Amino acid sequence: MSNTSHPFVGFGLGLRTCYFEEILATQPKVDWFEIISENYFVDGGKPWHYLAQIKEQYPIVMHGVSMSIGSTSEINFSYLDSLKKTINRVDPLWISDHLCFSSLGDFNSHDLLPMPYTEEALSHLTERLNIVQDYLQRPLILENVSSYLTYQASQMSEWEFLSELHNRTQCQFLLDINNIYVSARNHDFAPETFLNAIPEKAIAQIHLAGHSDFGSHIIDTHDQPICDHVWQLFKDFAKKRGPINTMIERDDNFPPFKELMAELDHARSLVPKSWSIHDFT
Amino acid sequence: MTSLEQLQQDFVNMLNHGSMDFENHIAAQEGALAPTQRAEIYQNAYRIRLTKVLEQDHEMLGLYLGDELFDEMVKGYLARFPSSAPSLREFGDRLPQFLSEHQPFSEHGILKEIALFERLLLKAFDAGDSKTLQFAQLQSIEQANWPNIQFQLHESVYLLTCQFSAVESWQALKSDQSPPSPDIQSPHHWIIAREPDKRTGFYALSTCHYHCLTSMQNGLPFGFVCEAAAQYAESEEQGTMQVMELLQKGIELGWFKSDIRVQQA
Repeated sequence: MSNTSHPFVGFGLGLRTCYFEEILATQPKVDWFEIISENYFVDGGKPWHYLAQIKEQYPIVMHGVSMSIGSTSEINFSYLDSLKKTINRVDPLWISDHLCFSSLGDFNSHDLLPMPYTEEALSHLTERLNIVQDYLQRPLILENVSSYLTYQASQMSEWEFLSELHNRTQCQFLLDINNIYVSARNHDFAPETFLNAIPEKAIAQIHLAGHSDFGSHIIDTHDQPICDHVWQLFKDFAKKRGPINTMIERDDNFPPFKELMAELDHARSLVPKSWSIHDFT
Repeated sequence: MTSLEQLQQDFVNMLNHGSMDFENHIAAQEGALAPTQRAEIYQNAYRIRLTKVLEQDHEMLGLYLGDELFDEMVKGYLARFPSSAPSLREFGDRLPQFLSEHQPFSEHGILKEIALFERLLLKAFDAGDSKTLQFAQLQSIEQANWPNIQFQLHESVYLLTCQFSAVESWQALKSDQSPPSPDIQSPHHWIIAREPDKRTGFYALSTCHYHCLTSMQNGLPFGFVCEAAAQYAESEEQGTMQVMELLQKGIELGWFKSDIRVQQA
């Protein structure tokens, strides 16, 4: 399955249940919405009821949290089957999940556990990615995860690992700039080094989010406003790159919708004119 | 076992069993955090995330138990039934079983019933969206076919029989009231279903209506459902009236699928 670049469609928001009614009532100036794939692995009910209406008005992309593509267990084809059915029902612009493992055998951690940056992991991911993409009959975009530890076994940096995976598979990445910032603080590297190392053609999407700072370390909670450092990283990154689909992601401690819209508008204000597809002023 | 397999197995053992072999995989780094603390971030996140799921899914059970017993329940449940499904929505599916099998919870049958009631509320919420039966459809049924009509319960419909005041206690706690005594004189029957506005509702059922609905669930045609109802009414005619009353209420509240079948003689 060869990977293709995804068209630039602008600035999106994570679609969460608490905003369903307000979105339908106010039709906000959002270019697209991203859903959590697994939340729609159910037969029906409220989420599907609202999604059906929202997807009539906005493009939708799908973002998964449970594929566990890096797991050394057998590929979970039951999961992939559910994902494929959901894809067929939603008809998303693109799909993504995380470059990590979250389950092993019968155990599911429901966390995004980091991979070691080794040749063995690269080979493993290359093989699994090809199988998954062939099964789904579409490219899978992979997101970098936040991490709180470095493995003894790692033979390269995370950005070298991603770049090499792209070289081998032509896969594209969803770069979460907050996650890069979190890992940079926790492992004492410069986040710019990471961002500058990823080839432009390997980037399909950007996530912007918040975190919780505990002084000695940062936890990627996605439940706070985006911090100034992350905004600055995004601004500097955008200056050097062509337009990339960008999204504000909030997963907990949900603020009034207008606060997320303000963050989305702020993101729009930080990018070069070449990134604009609408004049929302 | 390859080194990647070993690393992942040790990581999972650390999360699931507290085994610290995993620490050997963590590089020492400059900064404030030691390898043990870095591993603990993942351990804490695992426990907190799954605890939060049970707190959200079983809010009234939590109030009924109180913080100390709820924490004990979560700890025991995590050890007995670690999560295996990709979706967190399924994590608590075996909580009623856990409560019925493990002391001190198993000594209080109401706990299992409150947990089961809360799970059925969740299942009704996520159930499929088949079209619901409308009154106009009944008018098109020929008189002669009525005894052979099979009504089907909507996917969101769940029936529950309680030996304790589980639902009444749930309702009381939801309204910031003290729960009643757990003991009741005879079983209480309930229907849980998603309503037309997509909210999940529940209603007390008479014994007659409960048996009518279980008959329909078992695929029995209308004639047999009326016979079942007659056993709980004073006459066959009153039994049929009970079924018609149930049909009317069920159609208003979306308890039946629009897909009705005529059983061939």
